[in-house]
Amino acid sequence: MASPMADRQVRISRIGGRYLAFDIEDVVYIRRHHGICAILMGTMPQNPTQNIFLGLPIELYAEEARLLIDKKVAYIADEATEHLSQLKTMDPTARSAYLQSLKMQRKTAQLGLEDAKAKSKAQYQRRAQTITASSSDNPNRTKPASSGREDSLFDSQPQQPAPVAKLALPAVTPTTSNVLVASGGSSVSIQVPASYPLYRFLNTRGYYITPGLRFGGDYSVYPGDPFRFHAHYMANSYGWDEKVPMLDLVTSGRLGTAVKKSFLFGSQQPATAIAAESANPGEDVRVFCIEWAGM
Amino acid sequence: MSLDDDDMPTTAPIASASADQEDAPTGDEVLEEEIQDFRLFRKDKNISAQTIRKGEKDFESHGTRAQENALEQSRQAMKEVLSYTRVHQTRNLVRGWYFPDWWAEWPEKEDESAAGGNATQGTQEKDKRPFAHMRDRVVILEGSSVSSTYLGRAVTSQPKETLARGKDWLLPEEALYLVERGSLDLWWPTRGLEEIFPPWKPDVKDSEAHPESEPAATSEAEVVGHAVESNTVNEADEYDQGIPLSVQAAYSLLIGNDGERGKVSLQKFQVYSNLKRAGYNILRAPPLTKQCTPQTPSVTLWQWLSSLLPSGSEPQPRPYGPLIQPGLYRSYVPIYRQMVIIPRHKPSAAPSSPWLPEDPFSVHFHIWKAAPKWSKLRHPPPDFYLAVVDAQETGVPTFQEITALVDATPPAPGKPEWTGPGRMYARLKHGHRNALVAVVDHGIINYMRFAEGAFGEELLFERFDSRNAPRSGKGGGRALSSSVIDTGTLDKFSKQPSELCVSGRKVEPKDNNTLDDDP
Repeated sequence: MASPMADRQVRISRIGGRYLAFDIEDVVYIRRHHGICAILMGTMPQNPTQNIFLGLPIELYAEEARLLIDKKVAYIADEATEHLSQLKTMDPTARSAYLQSLKMQRKTAQLGLEDAKAKSKAQYQRRAQTITASSSDNPNRTKPASSGREDSLFDSQPQQPAPVAKLALPAVTPTTSNVLVASGGSSVSIQVPASYPLYRFLNTRGYYITPGLRFGGDYSVYPGDPFRFHAHYMANSYGWDEKVPMLDLVTSGRLGTAVKKSFLFGSQQPATAIAAESANPGEDVRVFCIEWAGM
Repeated sequence: MSLDDDDMPTTAPIASASADQEDAPTGDEVLEEEIQDFRLFRKDKNISAQTIRKGEKDFESHGTRAQENALEQSRQAMKEVLSYTRVHQTRNLVRGWYFPDWWAEWPEKEDESAAGGNATQGTQEKDKRPFAHMRDRVVILEGSSVSSTYLGRAVTSQPKETLARGKDWLLPEEALYLVERGSLDLWWPTRGLEEIFPPWKPDVKDSEAHPESEPAATSEAEVVGHAVESNTVNEADEYDQGIPLSVQAAYSLLIGNDGERGKVSLQKFQVYSNLKRAGYNILRAPPLTKQCTPQTPSVTLWQWLSSLLPSGSEPQPRPYGPLIQPGLYRSYVPIYRQMVIIPRHKPSAAPSSPWLPEDPFSVHFHIWKAAPKWSKLRHPPPDFYLAVVDAQETGVPTFQEITALVDATPPAPGKPEWTGPGRMYARLKHGHRNALVAVVDHGIINYMRFAEGAFGEELLFERFDSRNAPRSGKGGGRALSSSVIDTGTLDKFSKQPSELCVSGRKVEPKDNNTLDDDP
């Protein structure tokens, strides 16, 4: 397991006013320990013509970034300026460190490629043998052999022989710039929407939250990791004294029922109204669920 | 995902209902669609999307080890799949260099913009090329790649001595998309463009490590050969001109705020790559300059007047008295004709509104369905016009905003075979112009289609006299008595209403699918 890290600092990249994370270790860590999935948004290089599986980076909600900052497990990095300053004035040591790490990755990639090549070659030979052996007595037996073939993700073009057996290492595009840019950044304040208290309340109670656009609320709320669980609630946030139109409740309640979710709405009590001792985050939030009564 | 209404069931409402059930995912399916069970992805990348969608989930934690194991496996699979490093095999390496300021001072040509903007006629003419957005192009492509049929742009007809003449330059979204899918190796140059792409000289053989110094028309075989060659140069030289960049660095350099030169906003990039992954061809829309000026005010006024007046054959309603003249009527049509007193919106070839589109409700991308002969320079008028808006920061568009957006697109009449009463819903739904709006909520994208509707063009009452009239009991030749409506109460309707039809794709709930505006 790659996350014993009690004091891991997640690098949140602020790019174009958005919050992204690129390091797979960070992504796994915040998902496991802080209940934050965020949204995978990148194209998968292994299979770039589909929209179901997406890859790194993840885009974090402002709420999620703020929560991680408040928990002191993350820092914000202004990537554009950091990268530009680092790339424009690169001192020799940083440069050689970066190139060294690149070389390592290229060697690993090389090994991976050779491995895959050898594997597919062996497979090809095995299959050829099976075909020649079985075609004489029973042609039907070729079928299981071919369907049992296991495609590795990495051998994209296994059958094509390399044009030249050179020692040239393949080029790689690393996912992160961890070696290039210094870690650590400013802990600037993050503007969060008014629904942040509700978000924090749900998160501290172990719920996982994804954007609400799918079901038509502020948030979709899951009882656990969305890998395993269906969403339970469609959540909306209101002001404490805000008048909630009855029609909104009916609309959202119906909508929630239609997508098999319960409609949840909540609000934060203003700080003046309660005693200061309940500083525990989330204690000052009240939530209600609405279910459609079939009378 | 279909952005289109071509597959729309049209003949009868019943047919439409059944087909809708097939097409439109239910709430559960919408959810399932988003399941990313990486275990399946890891197992077999050729698995169909349908199978993945059937992935099983639980409703709550029941504390069993089986459930825990399944979750753990999913997480492991995700980690494994996402830890992949992009590797470029030497044979098909495509390299790009980041030169953000090369075209910064480039004057974009006006006639080009006109060609791209007025897509109905401009692109038909051979010598006119779509608007190039050269000032925003920041990545120069070494050699050529398959993708340059669809992406990138070179400046042609430059003198021979020009640096890197005829090379393809990429827009930020194009470069980032290619980097992400592992098709482009993006480099940060530590030397100037003139050293990486040395000026072309007739005599010099490319004996050194700059094989790409030839004029652009290298065939692909040559490029491959050179790439191999250049990779075997020893290591010191290899990083002499620059260093390769990570995906993170590519994002940092190419993603910015809206309107920054040489950058693209994250939302637009998300929409761009979403559509590219789905197989659409997509180009940046040319900047909107004077698209809305061609109509002259007199035309508008005339149209406006003529739309106010009932056509000549019909009698004007009297200022007083019963709306429907007392008398004997043997069919519904004359009665309804007399009741047509509210002017209806009439779609016209020229945009009918005086407003100009404003960001974010303006056309950002032109989209084409995948077609074999499509290329970045030669293509038919776009299939779709798309605006990108942020879900959190944007309100529901005002009538003015959405009308301006729809009016910025050329008229798109429905299919010629959509005639007759049976296809009325197809016509209404398709509208006379339309624009797509992509609503982006942190990487989750919803596409909505806004169309200019013309309900006034569909005269339902003309069918009431036919044999299969809906109100069979009262039809036929029976005389009908007229009811009296006081015209005085109709003043409030005198404002001419326009009509818009909104339809959502992949949107829940279904109730949102149609929406009449309320002027």
